[in-house]
Order: sequence, then C-alpha cells, then structure tokens
Amino acid sequence: MDAQSYMPVPPGVGMEENFFSLDDILLSHERLPCRTESAFPRLGFLEKSSDSRDIPEGTKMEMPLWLAKGLYERKRRVLSVELPKVYREGWRTVFGADPTVVDLYKMGPYYYGLGSQMLHFESPENPEIANTILQTFIGRFRRTMDSSQNAYNEDTSALVERLDYLERSLFKAGQSGLNNFQLWEKGRSSHLTASSLVINYRKRKMTDLQA
Amino acid sequence: MDPAEVEFLAEKEMVKIIPNFSLDKIYLIGGDLGPFNPGLPVEVPVWLALNLKQRQKCRIVPPEWMDTDKLEDIREQERKLDTFTPIPNPYYMELTKLLLNHAADNIPKADEIRTLVKDIWDTRMAKLRLSADSFISQQEAHAQLDNLTLMEINTTRSFLLDSLNYMYKLRSNLQPGRSKDY
Amino acid sequence: MFCEKSVELIRELHRMGDGQLPAFNEDGIRQVLEEMKALYEQNQTDVNEAKTEGKSELIPSIKFRHSCLLRNQRCIAAYLYDRLLRIRALRWEYGSVLPTNIRFHMCAEEMEWFNQYKKSLATYMRSIGGEEGLDITQDMKPPKSLYIEVRCLKDHGEFEIDDGTVILLKKNSQHFLPRWKCEQLIRQGVLEHVIS
Repeated sequence: MDAQSYMPVPPGVGMEENFFSLDDILLSHERLPCRTESAFPRLGFLEKSSDSRDIPEGTKMEMPLWLAKGLYERKRRVLSVELPKVYREGWRTVFGADPTVVDLYKMGPYYYGLGSQMLHFESPENPEIANTILQTFIGRFRRTMDSSQNAYNEDTSALVERLDYLERSLFKAGQSGLNNFQLWEKGRSSHLTASSLVINYRKRKMTDLQA
Repeated sequence: MDPAEVEFLAEKEMVKIIPNFSLDKIYLIGGDLGPFNPGLPVEVPVWLALNLKQRQKCRIVPPEWMDTDKLEDIREQERKLDTFTPIPNPYYMELTKLLLNHAADNIPKADEIRTLVKDIWDTRMAKLRLSADSFISQQEAHAQLDNLTLMEINTTRSFLLDSLNYMYKLRSNLQPGRSKDY
Repeated sequence: MFCEKSVELIRELHRMGDGQLPAFNEDGIRQVLEEMKALYEQNQTDVNEAKTEGKSELIPSIKFRHSCLLRNQRCIAAYLYDRLLRIRALRWEYGSVLPTNIRFHMCAEEMEWFNQYKKSLATYMRSIGGEEGLDITQDMKPPKSLYIEVRCLKDHGEFEIDDGTVILLKKNSQHFLPRWKCEQLIRQGVLEHVIS
C-alpha cells in the first residue's frame, strides 16, 4: 500500500467546522427538529404540508444544521432547535451505563460531530451533553483500538458496523499503520506497485462498460 | 512514513564484516570506508554489508546483541516491567529482518533469534496499546515515549495522533469559547 | 429546501473517497448558480421593501435566504477546491501526461490549472540538484537496487533506455531495466515489478 497523494481536507471535529471539508459539509446537512419563533414571509412554499404564502410562527419543521446555525441568534430568536433524541437525558443515561453496547452508526452516524455542533445552541443541558460525548469516546476507545489492531486480512465490516464516522476514521488510521508494517515484514514494502488510483479507475471503467 | 523509509534509515547502522577481498580505503560523502583486507574485520554500514554479502564478498559478524541469551534477558525484562525496557539498538526490528533475510548463514540460531525478537516486539506493542488506552481514559495531556523505537512509533503514529487530537477537541467542548486558544 | 443541488455536488466527490476525479458537473454548478441568482434577487426586493416601507417582519426571511446563499457558496468553493486536490494528485500518480479519459473529466480552467502546476513543479525540479535538476517524483520509496525485473502487462511499443538501446515492451515480455526508467510505467500499470 503506498502513501496517497490525494489528501482531502480533514473535518474540524468539535465545535469548529472546516470550511472546505467535504465531511463537515455533509455533517452540517444533518436535519434537526426545529420550531419557528417568528414568521418567515414569502417562504411558505418550502413547507409542503401547507399552501400558505408564509411560514407562520410556531411551525415545527426539520432544518439542516447549517441553516439552523445560520438563523440562530441569542438576541433575536427566530428559531428554537430541539435536541435530537440520542443527546437527551434518556440516552445519556444509557451511554453512561455502558457506551460499548450502543450501535453508534445507527444512532449517528455523526454522533460526536453532531453532538459537538449541538453545543452552538446554548441549551442548559450543554455541559452534560459535552461530558457524555467525551466519556462515550473514552469508554469505547479500547474497542475501537483493539479491533483496528487485530483485524488485518480479515473481513472487518462487522467490526466497523457499529462505529460512528469519527471512530471509523480512527479504525482506518490504525489499520493502515498495521497493514504497512505487516507488508514490510513480509518483504512487500519495497515492491513497486501500480497507483491505486489507476487500478480503481480501470475497475470503474470495466463496470461502466459492462453496464 | 513508509516502513521502507524506516528500514532505509536503519541501513546506515554500522556492522562488522570479514571481507574476502582487498581494496584500499574509499572516500564517500557519507564517510570513509575500508581499507578491506581478506580475513580482517572492518566496520561498514549495513547497506554495504548486505550488498557485499549478496555478491559473496564477505561474512557478516552479527551485532553483539543479536544473541539468544541476551535477547531472552530482554524478553524477560520486557514482560516483567510496565515501562518500556531500553533496547540495545534503536533499529532492532529492521536489523533483525535485514540480517536474517540476507545473511542467516552467518548468524547462529537464526530462527530462535527471529522468534525472540518477534516476541519482544509483540510484548512492546501490547504495552503501547495498553498505555494508549490508559492515556485516553485518564485524559492525560502529554505522554513520555521513552525507549520506543522509530518503527514502533511509526506503526501507530497516525492512530495515536488522531486519537489524541479527537480527545482534545471533545474536551474543548467542555469549555465552549475557549476552544480556539491553542 | 434550497441548497439540495449543491450538496449533491459534494456527495458526488465524497462517494469517490480514493481520490478519483469524476466528470466536471457543469450542469450541477449552473443549477446552483441559478438558484443563487434567484435567492439574491428575491433578497434585493425584500431588503428594499424592508428599508423603504419599514417592513421589518421580512428580516427573518432575508436572513434565511442569505444563509442559503452562503451555504451554496461554501459547497461550490469546496467542490472546486477538492477537485484541485485530486487534480494535483494526478500529476504524482500518472505523471505529466494524463490519459485522455481523465482529461475529459476536467473543465477548461482545471486543465489550465493542471498545466500551470506541471510547469511550476518542473521549474522547481530544474532548480534543485545541480545542473541536471532532480526529478522528485522518482524514488518515492528508497531504492534497493539500480536495476529491477519487470513484466509487461500490455503492449507499450518501443522504449529507449540510458545507453541508447531500444527495447520492445510487448505484453508478457520480461525485462531487466534501470529502476528509475520503470517507476512511472509501473505506477501507470504498464509494467509490473517482479520480485524473485
């Protein structure tokens, strides 16, 4: 395996987003349950359930994170954002008991990313949310690490299945370190190989032709 | 780093050879080599030793530490202690592989040595994982990596750095507004 | 909802996580720009009304559209930027001449950018390593020997090596060649490095 020449902009992780990161753009596309705290004139067509000209105050609608962040303001509140279920007290208790049993992909898949972003909305529960996210990461760390270190040459899909995106990127980092070392051990490290980009490109072309 | 690059650095280590040819001292940018006299031991970098060996121009004298008794002691130490034991050579893993692959006939008990070194490596890597976990669970801010070798660090570098970075970010969440001052 | 088109552009790139370059989505970009134009014009109207007629109740909607404008701007900028990162990688993976099918995936400005990048890399490589310059795209891994054994994976035609001899790279033929001459061809999948 060779070093990749394409290195995408990494996600910001935590409260700051990276402007150019594709991961962060997709994270900020996650939808949040919101309630309008003022009317939005002339935007009624966005709400499919009604045919009024405006979005009236008190409408419950889902909005992507980026929009909720853009509209959110402490002084002049036009929007209130509800906390998604996994960050509420009920789930926080579950995470507190044993974070390793939870399928974070199903509950997320951006469990840590979205959780950190929710802190922008100044809920009184913020300290507990921030703490639960951190403790969950710590509590699951050993499993993420062990699975990434012991899985060379095996089917890893079952191990990765329940990891959220942040944990998956850690898993990948652990795997590539181990794989590179094991290739070296077997004497394959100085083997010159075709660029994976070239190989994958050719594979695509083949499937395109067959399609 | 690619492990091949780590190995490249290891090839600069010096090793003793017994040449079977004669050649005057040669002057290179990296330092002077030789003179070479048949039967007289001389120190050369590993890359040259392996090249000469492949062309049957010399016999390689194994480094002192590449010895079953010494390695067994190290293995015992490594298993007994919680910290990382000092290793006799910073490139022990790379040199073991290079010398055993190309000059096994010059090294007594080559197979035993291979197993011992692998045991030491495995013990150390398990220890490294253990300390990474306790590092994360205790939310430490810095770690001392005394006595770890480059190959060991290199194998877990990106995993370890990413983990620490993520933990740092998630910890900064606890004090919003202060997340920017690093 | 607004901004669905622009996130579609991002998804398109994200799906190809290994760095492949999908075809430049001119139509997608055009649709996003059209949406932005509409948003901008509607906001101009509302801002004027809010100012001249004192209709401050329009402000939430103005902010709403403004957020959408910023979002579209971010997606387009990220789309273009990520493509440049991929195009830069192509120079290192394929060398300075790209296969036609990959060139077809670039827009004119990207081609221009690639050529400029190629040029500045070449200028830099000429400026280092003395008279001859230094090809820093070679020896990406520390070389073990000057010559290596290679097998031809496809017909590639004639090939000249250092001493002037010309050899024929025919499918399935095997050769012992200077490593630095083969590295690029191996990366391109023309030759295969054979380890004994």
